[in-house]
Amino acid sequence: MDRQQEFVLRTVEERDIRFIRLWFTDVLGVLKSVAVAPAELEQAFVEGIGFDGSAIEGLTRVYEADMIAKPDPTTFQVLPWRGERHGTGRMFCDLLTPEGEPSRADSRNVLKRTLAKAGDKGFTFYTHPEVEFYLFNQMGSSDGPLVPVDEGGYFDHLARGSTHDFRRAAISMLESMGISVEFSHHEAGPGQNEIDLRYADALTTADNLMTFRTVVKEVALEQGVFASFMPKPFADKPGSGMHTHMSLFEEDSNAFHEPGAQFELSKTGRQFIAGLLVHAGEITAVTNQHVNSYKRLWGGSEAPSYICWGHNNRSALVRVPMYKPGKGNSSRIEYRALDSAANPYLAFAVLLAAGMKGIEEGYELPEATEDDVWELTGAERRALGIAPLPESLDEAIELMESSELVAETLGEHVFDYVLKNKRNEWDAYRAQVTPYELKTSLQFL
Amino acid sequence: MSPTTSGTGRPQTPTRRLLRAGFADLTRSATLWQDAELQRRLPADAGGDDGVLQALGVTADPDLALLHLVRLASVPAAQQTVERLLAADQRSGEGVARGRLMAVLGASTALADEIVRRPALLDVLGDGDGGLGADPRDVRAELLRAVGADPESADPVAALEPEGADAPGWPDRDAPTATDALRRAYRERLLRIAATDLTAPDPSATLPDVGAALADLAAGALEAALAVARSQIPDHGAGARLAVIGMGKTGGRELNYVSDVDVVYVCEPATDEAGEPVLDESAAMRIGTQLATRLQKVCGGTSLEPALWEVDAALRPEGKQGPLVRTLASHVAYYERWAQTWEFQALLKARPVAGDAALGAAYREAVDPFVWAAANRDHFVEDAQAMRRRVEAHVPNAEADRQIKLGKGGLRDVEFTVQLLQLVHGRTDDAIHDGNTLAGLSALAAGGYVGREHALRMGACYRFLRSLEHRVQLFGLKRTHLLPTEDEDLRRLARSLGMRGQGAEDLRQRWRATRREVRALHEAVFYRPLLPAWAQLSEDELSLAPDAARARFAAIGYRDPDGAMRHVVALTEGTSRRAKLQRQLLPVMLGWFAEGSDPDAGLLDFRKLSENLGATPWYLRLLRDSGNAAYHLAHLLSSSRYLAEALARSPESVQWLADTSRLEPRGPERLAAEADAVLTRADDPGPAATRLRALRRRELARTGAGEVLGVLGPVQAQAAISDAADMVVVGGLRVAEFAARDQMGLGPDPAANPTRMLVVAMGRLGGREMGYGSDADVLFVHDPLPDADPEQAKAFAELTARTLQKLLSAVGPEPPLPVDADLRPEGRQGPLVRTMASYTEYYERWASVWEQQALLRARPVAGATGTAVDLAERFDAVVDPLRYPPGGLAEPKLREVRRIKARVESERLPRGTDPSRHLKLGRGGVSDVEWTVQLLQLQHAHEVPGLRTTETVAALAAAEGAGLVEAEEAECLLDAWLLASRLRSALVLWSGKVGGLRADVLPADAWALTGLARLLGDVDTGQELEELYLRTARRARTVMERLVYGDD
Repeated sequence: MDRQQEFVLRTVEERDIRFIRLWFTDVLGVLKSVAVAPAELEQAFVEGIGFDGSAIEGLTRVYEADMIAKPDPTTFQVLPWRGERHGTGRMFCDLLTPEGEPSRADSRNVLKRTLAKAGDKGFTFYTHPEVEFYLFNQMGSSDGPLVPVDEGGYFDHLARGSTHDFRRAAISMLESMGISVEFSHHEAGPGQNEIDLRYADALTTADNLMTFRTVVKEVALEQGVFASFMPKPFADKPGSGMHTHMSLFEEDSNAFHEPGAQFELSKTGRQFIAGLLVHAGEITAVTNQHVNSYKRLWGGSEAPSYICWGHNNRSALVRVPMYKPGKGNSSRIEYRALDSAANPYLAFAVLLAAGMKGIEEGYELPEATEDDVWELTGAERRALGIAPLPESLDEAIELMESSELVAETLGEHVFDYVLKNKRNEWDAYRAQVTPYELKTSLQFL
Repeated sequence: MSPTTSGTGRPQTPTRRLLRAGFADLTRSATLWQDAELQRRLPADAGGDDGVLQALGVTADPDLALLHLVRLASVPAAQQTVERLLAADQRSGEGVARGRLMAVLGASTALADEIVRRPALLDVLGDGDGGLGADPRDVRAELLRAVGADPESADPVAALEPEGADAPGWPDRDAPTATDALRRAYRERLLRIAATDLTAPDPSATLPDVGAALADLAAGALEAALAVARSQIPDHGAGARLAVIGMGKTGGRELNYVSDVDVVYVCEPATDEAGEPVLDESAAMRIGTQLATRLQKVCGGTSLEPALWEVDAALRPEGKQGPLVRTLASHVAYYERWAQTWEFQALLKARPVAGDAALGAAYREAVDPFVWAAANRDHFVEDAQAMRRRVEAHVPNAEADRQIKLGKGGLRDVEFTVQLLQLVHGRTDDAIHDGNTLAGLSALAAGGYVGREHALRMGACYRFLRSLEHRVQLFGLKRTHLLPTEDEDLRRLARSLGMRGQGAEDLRQRWRATRREVRALHEAVFYRPLLPAWAQLSEDELSLAPDAARARFAAIGYRDPDGAMRHVVALTEGTSRRAKLQRQLLPVMLGWFAEGSDPDAGLLDFRKLSENLGATPWYLRLLRDSGNAAYHLAHLLSSSRYLAEALARSPESVQWLADTSRLEPRGPERLAAEADAVLTRADDPGPAATRLRALRRRELARTGAGEVLGVLGPVQAQAAISDAADMVVVGGLRVAEFAARDQMGLGPDPAANPTRMLVVAMGRLGGREMGYGSDADVLFVHDPLPDADPEQAKAFAELTARTLQKLLSAVGPEPPLPVDADLRPEGRQGPLVRTMASYTEYYERWASVWEQQALLRARPVAGATGTAVDLAERFDAVVDPLRYPPGGLAEPKLREVRRIKARVESERLPRGTDPSRHLKLGRGGVSDVEWTVQLLQLQHAHEVPGLRTTETVAALAAAEGAGLVEAEEAECLLDAWLLASRLRSALVLWSGKVGGLRADVLPADAWALTGLARLLGDVDTGQELEELYLRTARRARTVMERLVYGDD
């Protein structure tokens, strides 16, 4: 029993915590939770909690279903929405095989492995996500009309705005769980909000995102509304993305920064971007994993549909934000395709791997794109060598299938599972007859 | 030098005198001796027996010493002292100083340069302080004073650097900065130590004191550097407490002359009287980082005086990625959660050496429990083995013959052995916790964990290697661990180590002998004490107490230490010669079993084998006299169930293991001759077939052993197994014909056969790609003699075929070779045997594309081949147009092949099997590759002769050669095919199970995967093996889909 574990046991005792939730994430990025009583906690620290992994998406192969979840005591937090008295605590878990080896199916482990690989080269990876989501009034039934909680727009300050209260409550709850919020505001769509998490190493950010989604949903429920991270709930309103700022550090210095270079961007930074661009297509099935994701990617209005980069170009896939003089360590690049429904562990892993590939292979970065790529004609884009991202989940799967980079990063097991699962999702979607088809065809044909 | 007369009356020429004194480069030294400046400094009797020449002569390198002396004689500031020293009487105090000077000049060019540059150092050699055995506190005070800091202060601060060269209070006029002052003081003391070391009568005996003095000097330098660092920052860093922990050789107080100094920093906010921190933690860490960074620069940065050494903080938590300084709590948190086993091994040597003493002590106390609990960690055994591999990892070839530190038998090897034993036994015994290698070794001996004699010998080896390393480094004060190659350098080293009168070659030999002895001692120290007391070879051999033995067995990987101890007792019990030989053999074999995937089973099987063969005179003698045989046996028994059983079955096979050439395949001719001999002697079909099957069993075991021991590659092994099967089929046919004749009353003469038989090998037998558990696929063909009764011929042929199947498949003591004729026309519905004419007609009229494909593997193997009427040739002529269709494969047929392939994929895979893990039928498995190759053969063999082969690898190479597949595609396919084939073999070899549902499935449990990984040896762990296979197969699958299905 180490001190951190003892601390958790003591806290549980002192604050009269009645349940401890052990959290982990399945391959699709859905949070899973198993509750244990305080009496079982000590055992959980020593041996972990065994469970049947075959019931959980992508966790194990059917014939070796036994898995062990081992709580990480440094992630212990009391869940604020469960009330002060008889509270509930939570910890993230590492998933192990019965032999005690890290499970190949644990997406947290996928990210850890990728980070360790970059670590061997002397790099630490930091991310800073801007999470967008919609708030809706509670629906009477699942097929009722979708009503956003307000009609506000970008940065609108709404008098007595419920989203205002909502953000305040959500942020204070996040802060009480040790998750720092950088920034929050009303987004362009009605009922759409954005909350930016402070930058931190990618593993912490990914853990935080899992907590974040839960907190946002809980607070929404408390306030009688509901929140959704679905990438594109309205065809004619902006989608919810998760623009993510990324930087690499070597020891204490920002490896993307080089004073005097174009955009103050170092060679390492340029190669990292080049890696992202070269591999953008094949990682899209991970960064944008749902059928619905592609409606956002191809929904216009600043969506990053084309593989290019630019400085402050709001239509580019990779953006190099304006450099603030004297802040060398804040140099970063922004990847704009990612959406809020991705599995953050896997998404960060493939983004890092793509960038690192660029560094390892010394990819050349093409010219920055100054134009609004949406304004260009197809022929112009071809002339400029600007390729599109996959247009559908189907196309993204096909690109991923032949990607050694993604296979190596996810590991063969997760790679295989994601492909199978996404293929099923696509097949199920393709079988649908949509309201759009009924509207446009039923009467006329 | 003028000729004089020595006592012997022979005239002494100058050259002779130099020669007698010990000089080697006579002409040059004679010239140097005549140097005008030197001659002016020399006393009258300089050339005499007691004189300067003799004093030079006893140094490690008289020629070198003379050269440096000449240089020194021309430095004005040195001349007076030199003259005085040269004139001194050998027995006076001055004379001792002269000896020390000469010794330094003759062994270290770097120190000689230093003296020439700073003649004041000459006084250091004569002031009576020899540098060894000094109180560490005095050394610390000396270096602190050198930078103008107060040694009495708890946090000494160096004096501020002066504006002018002789500002009052500045300790060293010749040093412009505190950094330089420190470095000058450091070198002064280094010179004292070196001079004492070089004049010591027995360098090995002095070695521990030298290592301690160097470590104390380094500690003092770190303290003084910290004082300098404090002087450079605001408030002298008063808000933070910083402790410098020595690691590695610094921590173990056994430092080299030149090596990186390994440290770790602990930092806490300073506290006020009330015990409250005066700063918050992050501010204190910033100050601590500043201090540490500056400290490192003072020691290793550029300045006027050369740097001391690099201060290396890479052993800190998170290594180079981690923050430079941490709080104590942060260190502890790291060791609780993240640290790897090797980091605890490193911590064993941690010792506070500078900075805040109380904090340093608190650190040591806090990390101690981690170190001594490390042996209880999960995966300790695997980690320790991995660490050992890193220690033994072969050094670059160019250096292999010169490395003093790394590699088997090097210094690291000794250190590792001591540390591992400390970790294993230190958990329950505080007396063996010393971080110093030699002290640790003595404590292990005193505690009864290592035999005293062994500890002494290992200590002696260590001292010799360390002394050698010291001398090599002293020459240029360079960080090197390589033995020089030039004879003159080696001669100097030999002489400086007290091996006077011996030369370069003697040193080389002693060095090699020492390395060998370290290796041998490693086995002796580690494994010999595992034998019970009565089984020890001599009185002073040691036997571990039961608890200690249990801990050691567990630490090397035995899962059932009690069981292992029982086997050891049983093997060594008694006074027989057998038991005596076992006592010699067993210790080292215990280590070898531990390298396999199942040490417990290996030991148990060895016990069984030994009980079986104990009385056989050659058995133990062979194991004792042939290092190979014992090693190979241990390896096979602990990593392969199949071979353990095979060896138990025919113990005489152990003899092969002494000589790997006996593991090579015997080749078809020798096998045929052997089978022939067996059959010629036989007169009864049943026993004859059993003898043939026994021959095959023997060859399977030979092939398996060859494959596991790396004598055979996978393709060779498959060919060897197929050759053995050929031999059994050929011999079996002969027996079956004999039996058929007998049963039909045709008499014993083969000439009475009414028909000629031909057995055509198909499938894996046809391709010569059999595994340990493969069946023999065949077709039976016969061709009645022109004058024979067709009915009788048919009856004879059928009887022969059935008898052959029965003889080879029947349950019996020897492993069966099931003979399967299901690939014949019309399958199981068709007749077992057909005439050549019938085959011709059938294939011409009815052959389906799958039969064409199957015939690609057809290889006539037994019967009327090579005779006047060559049935094999005729058969080939019938099937060639089918399997190598002229013009390739027409579109409908191509479609048919694809369709069958798709159906086979979905139907033949056993229910519930993960397709990505089935080695034969799964995605990217053996069958995917073979279909791809066979399709290419059907399409192109008519135009590419190289494709007309039954062997997959050969066909694939031909396809690549003809440009039908890209080189990259061919590589993907070959990799997958080879890996899957090897895994299928390894599954049989590892588990000992032939066939069964799981025989072709990559196992999912870690235990089995690890066993396979060890057997294959490509990757270290089971998880990596799984990943490797899945990746390789996935790539092959993509290629297959492209080439067979025409996907893009």
